Amino acid sequence: MTCDEARRHWNLYHDSEGDAELHFRIGEHLATCPDCARWFDQESRLEHLIAEKLRSGPETPELWDRVLTECGIVRRPRSPRHLMVLVGVAACAASLLLAWWGPGWFGPRTAGSDLAVLTASWHERLVDGREPVPFRSHSDLEVERYLRSRVSFPVRCPPRRDAGFTVQGTGACELANQPAAFLVGHVDEQPVSIFVLPREGLEAFPHQRDAIRREGTHRCRQGPYEMAASVIDRNVVIVVGRAGPAQILRVLDAYGSYHEAHSSERGRPLIRLDRDEIVDETGRGKLAVRPSQRPLRRRGIALGDSPRPTRADWLTGHAATVPRGV
Amino acid sequence: MSAALPRERTKPENFLRHLEPLRGALESYCRRSLHDPGAVGDVLQAAVANAFRDFHRYVEGTNFRAWIFRYLNSEIRNANRRAGRTPRTLDSRSELPVEETWQLAPDGPLAEALRDDPEAVLDRCDEAVAEAVRALPAQEQSVLMLRAVGEFTYREMAEILGIPLGTVMTCLSRGRLRLRQRLLDYGREHGLLRPPDEDQAGCE
Repeated sequence: MTCDEARRHWNLYHDSEGDAELHFRIGEHLATCPDCARWFDQESRLEHLIAEKLRSGPETPELWDRVLTECGIVRRPRSPRHLMVLVGVAACAASLLLAWWGPGWFGPRTAGSDLAVLTASWHERLVDGREPVPFRSHSDLEVERYLRSRVSFPVRCPPRRDAGFTVQGTGACELANQPAAFLVGHVDEQPVSIFVLPREGLEAFPHQRDAIRREGTHRCRQGPYEMAASVIDRNVVIVVGRAGPAQILRVLDAYGSYHEAHSSERGRPLIRLDRDEIVDETGRGKLAVRPSQRPLRRRGIALGDSPRPTRADWLTGHAATVPRGV
Repeated sequence: MSAALPRERTKPENFLRHLEPLRGALESYCRRSLHDPGAVGDVLQAAVANAFRDFHRYVEGTNFRAWIFRYLNSEIRNANRRAGRTPRTLDSRSELPVEETWQLAPDGPLAEALRDDPEAVLDRCDEAVAEAVRALPAQEQSVLMLRAVGEFTYREMAEILGIPLGTVMTCLSRGRLRLRQRLLDYGREHGLLRPPDEDQAGCE
């Protein structure tokens, strides 16, 4: 290849176009011709600088915003004036709604925290492992001993095992700045948590307070979780989990009873919320049940030694008990 | 554990994903190629709107860069035609005869000076380069800009412009040649380039 031939094909060589044979032959020539090698190098550098100059100039974001908006590819940003008008209209609408329905429309739920939401959230985090369980044990006594050393309010827990609850651990927490304790365990392989607060703590949760006053035992569903809450002794107890409603109630009802032998085992005082007084040693609120004083018989079998019937038994029609008159 | 399936993108999202990395090149190409600098926004908008309208025809995995540049090039050609300002031909001094381009290479002492120190001219001739590009014949201008800004291959440029591959090669070669000639003229007019022997004489 001559120098003229090589330089004639500089464009193809520089742009990496043309066939491999041509590139090979030019390469061979450049290896033997320093003048052409220098000429190729200088031409390529000049071309590179010219291309850079033609490419120069940053993109203009405002221009592209306008182009893309006008083309309908991105949404038009609202002007501050437009936003102010929207805010004004929304404020007027909200005022009208408030005036129409009155301040009581929202009910007691907005007046304070929602215990159901908080406990469901805690339960979920405990199950997911996002919240650690500080003390793990399968022993009722060890769990109670641990809790009593950690919380500032009286607790009686966990429920006895024949209620179906297998305790696995416990810890202290706060619910809307109220001191609380939790117990984690299982009911029929389903994780269930029990939250215990001092009775006074219920004032921070007006919705649940009113509901428990009304219903004695307040049952609800929070997301996928079944819940039951009640005041037992000097505690507010909330049972949360995916177990069935009857199982949840059974666990709640068994709170404070002991499966293991315990020196403090004794009857629980019943607190009548509507009168705020202790009325008996078993049960709670309007749904409280009391075992009859005489030996219980079911299908002719003496039940004197059988466990006390629970609220769940009563609600499901299996309780051989006499409901307390309210 | 199975990986979550990616969410299916909407048409605007998908279009923007392709467009985003090309915005600078599209804008530069548009600015350099339009005779009316004030029309950049309108031309870009028309090109992007048409491309977005036809985006369902674009086959994923093919060359989106070449695809959208075709729309832009078409809009630029229309805009230049509407403006009634067909590309000017160079004046007689820069007019080059249509011959084999390699024979027209601006060689000589000044060309050598330009190759030796191109920054001496290029750093001072932004507007002159822009004007020289605008003054090129339409096809030469398009090919030169597509190569410089879009770094397209000859075949891609042929597809974008709808011209034969040989025409692309000729236009690119001539365009580069004219641009170099304009730089030489500018350098000489402004005293930026001196033949190497003059430099040596000056030193002596």
